[in-house]
Amino acid sequence: MLLTISDMTTGYGPTIVNRGVSLTLAAREIVTVLGPNGAGKSTLLRTLAGLVKPRSGSVIFDGADVTGQAPDVMAKRGIVLVPEGRRIFTDMTVEENLRLGAYTRRDGEGVDADVRTMESFFPILAVKRREKGGSLSGGQQQMLAIARGLMARPRILLLDEPSLGLSPLLVKEIQGIILGIGDRFGASVLLVEQNAGLALSVASRGYLMQNGRIATSGPIEELRDMSLMRELYLGGVAG
Amino acid sequence: MDVLLQQILNGLSIASVITLIAVGVTLIFGLTGIINFAHGEFLMVGSIVTWLAVSNGVSFWLAIILAMIVVAVMGFALERGLFRFTLERPTNGFIVSLGLIIVLQHIVILFWNANQKSIPRPLNTVWEIGGVRIASVRVMVIFITAAVVAMTFVAITRSRYGRALRASVEDRDTAALMGIPVRRYITGVFVLGSALAGLGGGLLIALFPITPFTGGTMVMKGFAVALIGGLGNLTGAVVAGLILGIVEGLSAGYGFSGWTDAYSFGLMILVLLFRPNGLFGGTSGPKMA
Repeated sequence: MLLTISDMTTGYGPTIVNRGVSLTLAAREIVTVLGPNGAGKSTLLRTLAGLVKPRSGSVIFDGADVTGQAPDVMAKRGIVLVPEGRRIFTDMTVEENLRLGAYTRRDGEGVDADVRTMESFFPILAVKRREKGGSLSGGQQQMLAIARGLMARPRILLLDEPSLGLSPLLVKEIQGIILGIGDRFGASVLLVEQNAGLALSVASRGYLMQNGRIATSGPIEELRDMSLMRELYLGGVAG
Repeated sequence: MDVLLQQILNGLSIASVITLIAVGVTLIFGLTGIINFAHGEFLMVGSIVTWLAVSNGVSFWLAIILAMIVVAVMGFALERGLFRFTLERPTNGFIVSLGLIIVLQHIVILFWNANQKSIPRPLNTVWEIGGVRIASVRVMVIFITAAVVAMTFVAITRSRYGRALRASVEDRDTAALMGIPVRRYITGVFVLGSALAGLGGGLLIALFPITPFTGGTMVMKGFAVALIGGLGNLTGAVVAGLILGIVEGLSAGYGFSGWTDAYSFGLMILVLLFRPNGLFGGTSGPKMA
């Protein structure tokens, strides 16, 4: 397994968010964590990215114990988070945003080449190259956020609600992009989504999170048919 | 007219020293949210180091480099030893800086008393161009400041490190997600800001005698300049410094030099009334989720 989380508990101050979460991710696999708002999905990703220190449990990445390491160390190791709400650097140009994504890399020519790769994978970024990140629309910012994450050449890309606030057409585009990440960039994807339709259409396995615990997990076909899933979550979700 | 030009030159040379402080204040605030009021004392320590070195026969040029190094090392030690514990609550950093003012002033007084200190002018040439008398020492101060500030500016806008610094100023958490070691950049900014203050101190004592209390007025003006430009905004600090220099020069030229100390604050109040974020728009400190 590329990533193994065992019995991890996290929280902020006195509040416990994740309780005893265990999860695995294989190389090039797309796995989703589903669950209602406030279930603790974002905190799980933020912990993996190093922004939140776990209270207990362990995170083993590529054979090494990386539990509780700082975000810049995690990024350097290849676990890269595309945060919720995109968090584009609004005062900086699209190209600067991309180059920042490659901060940990030392291969200047490889980075130059990857800027072009991203511009062909996300054509809108080529058009907007010299414009400020803040001038992009929500959908364009999401493309930029994913591209910026990929610039690090991550082993694992953590995606937090990439469909948030996007039109159905753009969600469709994001869907295609996520499906292409494994083949084009050789990365695994751990996807957190409110939009179950998107998550179920790209992932091969899923975890269902409820009140900070993993309620159930399994192949995506099984999850899709589960009554718990419907009850918790699918009511009224498009897709 | 000729007197006016001379006064503007005088104004600009003092404003140069103030700009060096403002750049440090604004960079440190932008990245950490800490308002370092002890930055004026960093400058004063720079003056003292220059004075000690020159008094012991070291050349002025070597002395200001020494001042930069000593104050940079001091800034490094203070960041590692004190300020880094206040990063989650920048207000505590501000309070620490208030305490540091007293500590640094009195350490200096303890060893080298509270009297005025001066050095012989490093450059004595006075150029006469069409009736205008230009003291070369003032031109030197303006040139050194311009060169150093320009280098800082290019480094911040063009280099990979500058890009990472700007990203950290805009959004510390997201910068860390890019793999940027933000803590190390914070230390770096303290060191850079301190080195600039050390240089400012060396240049100041080339212009005027100083006392262990000189830092106070200088940091107030530096802070005013940083606010006028927009706290956290480097371009703003530089342009506001320039404006302050010209305003102080003009006012002295028209015979209002008694009010010199009031201009920076008057200008600050005016600018903030109409543009609360400063001329170039500042940050409200680091964004933390």
